[in-house]
Amino acid sequence: MPETSLPQEVLQRDRHAQVAARLKVARRRRQGLRNLVAYAVLTVIALIMLYPFYWTLITSLEPTGNIYEVKLLPRSFSLRNYAEMFSGTTVPFWRLIMNSVVICALGVTLTTTLATLAAYPLAKMRFPGRDLIFYAILILMVLPNEAGLIVNYITTIKLGLLQQTSPAADMIRQYLAVVLPGAASIVGLFLLRQAYLGVPLELIEAARIDGAPELTIWRRIMLPLALPTIAAFAILEFVAYWNSFLWARIMLPDKNMLPLSAGLLELSGTFSTNSRAVMAGAVITIIPILVVFLMGQKYFMKGLEGAVKG
Amino acid sequence: MTAKRRRVSRREQHRRGGTGASVTVRNTLIAYAFMLPFLVLLVVYHTWPVVFGTYLAFTEYNIISPPKWVGLANFRELFADEQFWSGLRNSLKYVLVVPVIQVISILVALLVNRPLKGIGFFRTAYYVPVVTSFAVVGLIWSWLYKQGGAVNSLLMALGLMHGDHSLLDSPATALFAVMFVTLWKGIGYYMVLYLAGLQGISPELEEAAVIDGATRAQVFWNITLPGLRPTILVCSLLSTISAVKVFEELYVMTPNGYPAGSTYSALMYSFSKAFGGDFNFGLAAAASMVVAVVSILFGLLNFRLTRGGRTDA
Repeated sequence: MPETSLPQEVLQRDRHAQVAARLKVARRRRQGLRNLVAYAVLTVIALIMLYPFYWTLITSLEPTGNIYEVKLLPRSFSLRNYAEMFSGTTVPFWRLIMNSVVICALGVTLTTTLATLAAYPLAKMRFPGRDLIFYAILILMVLPNEAGLIVNYITTIKLGLLQQTSPAADMIRQYLAVVLPGAASIVGLFLLRQAYLGVPLELIEAARIDGAPELTIWRRIMLPLALPTIAAFAILEFVAYWNSFLWARIMLPDKNMLPLSAGLLELSGTFSTNSRAVMAGAVITIIPILVVFLMGQKYFMKGLEGAVKG
Repeated sequence: MTAKRRRVSRREQHRRGGTGASVTVRNTLIAYAFMLPFLVLLVVYHTWPVVFGTYLAFTEYNIISPPKWVGLANFRELFADEQFWSGLRNSLKYVLVVPVIQVISILVALLVNRPLKGIGFFRTAYYVPVVTSFAVVGLIWSWLYKQGGAVNSLLMALGLMHGDHSLLDSPATALFAVMFVTLWKGIGYYMVLYLAGLQGISPELEEAAVIDGATRAQVFWNITLPGLRPTILVCSLLSTISAVKVFEELYVMTPNGYPAGSTYSALMYSFSKAFGGDFNFGLAAAASMVVAVVSILFGLLNFRLTRGGRTDA
């Protein structure tokens, strides 16, 4: 009978281990199942989010056929619709692209420069009226600005930005008319002020003691240290300017001056006989946004979070 | 004693974001020089519209002749206009999007907050509609809604729709069809904000609850959701205000309140009075003012309903 006590214990331990292993397997299986369900739901949502874009892409690649039907692959393939867009015979497509590029370059540069400059004193200098200015800006952010469109239209006309003198001057003024209303970004000021507040004061004081002018401190200390926020803000602004269409469409009488997305809407009306070509135009309009967004996605999300937390 | 006080005051200055540098005329001038271009544009394009827009609401103005004070005449005309009321009703109907979009966004955020492989792809995919212009998104969806198009095929396959017609062509469904696009485009935006909110909730708290034997549902209702409350306030505030002000998606997909004025919104009314040909800027400004007041009221209501975003409630 000496065998009973010891093997009993071993047996018991063994049984415990078995139970534990079984539980572990069950948990892993449950986890696996849960992940599987999660992936299924994620995929369904992704399809709903992406299929409209995919459908537009494949339909724009078809030369003929039943245009609006659901499909997973193009029924036929040709770049004819793209060629039609780019040839510019029916629409000044290259011109629209150039307008968008100029408006974006001008808009992003101006908006970022103004906000990075203006946020500096609000974060790191002492002067009378600082708090007043800051709170006034905050109030403007909260106040709904529905009259903006109407009054800004009147202001733009009164400022003479739609005057016609010489072709070159007209062009510059019209670009300015599109860009200027959005150039003072309150959100941008807010984001950058937050970023500057995190810069150690010792750094700035040391530079001041060394006699550096404020503009140098701004350029050499503040800008590099706030660079991630500036990048995030610049991407946000690029997307906003590239996507803007309403303001330009209201303001600009000359259709040759429209940015791409406003031009696309114009096209869909006047070009309704060839929806596939407009689809090609839509695809071309989306691509730069996707490229910029994917490249700067990390910054972009951060900027968005900052915009709300700030 | 004096040394200590000086140290305290230095720290005080630091707290206020001030510097050791004294306030001098020169420093003040430098500060304002930095802000000048921003402030000029801010006043011209942000402050002035609020001031002048309010004034315009009480005038008759068409740009050509100077504004003429007419008192409350614009508001009287507005409130007597059935078209404006129908626009306002549609704007209020649009608020229906808010609870739906918030609930879905929270669920999606919870889903993409899981540490799964390839989750970055899904987050990015859901964000693509957000970064696309309403000009493009509106066009794509008006194609999808066409007769024989993707949406119709799906709805008919599911037995939810009989007879193939475009949802945008029927007064009964057009507004809801546009609402769905707003929902589809907005989920990714709120998802990111909720994701940020979720990442602000300390994981220790949830782990402690699980160790104490809380079920997943209990953890969600008692820890996760209260932790998200400030984010919920911000998000529902943002989406309520933009619902009351709905305009761009309607402008692209259902121009001029098509069909039969069923998609007129309050802001679209204002827009068409100003730019639809009759240049009635006074009436348009009055309509805008009503929209502004309504969206402020809804914002306050939102605050009440979410109990001011307090986490202790």
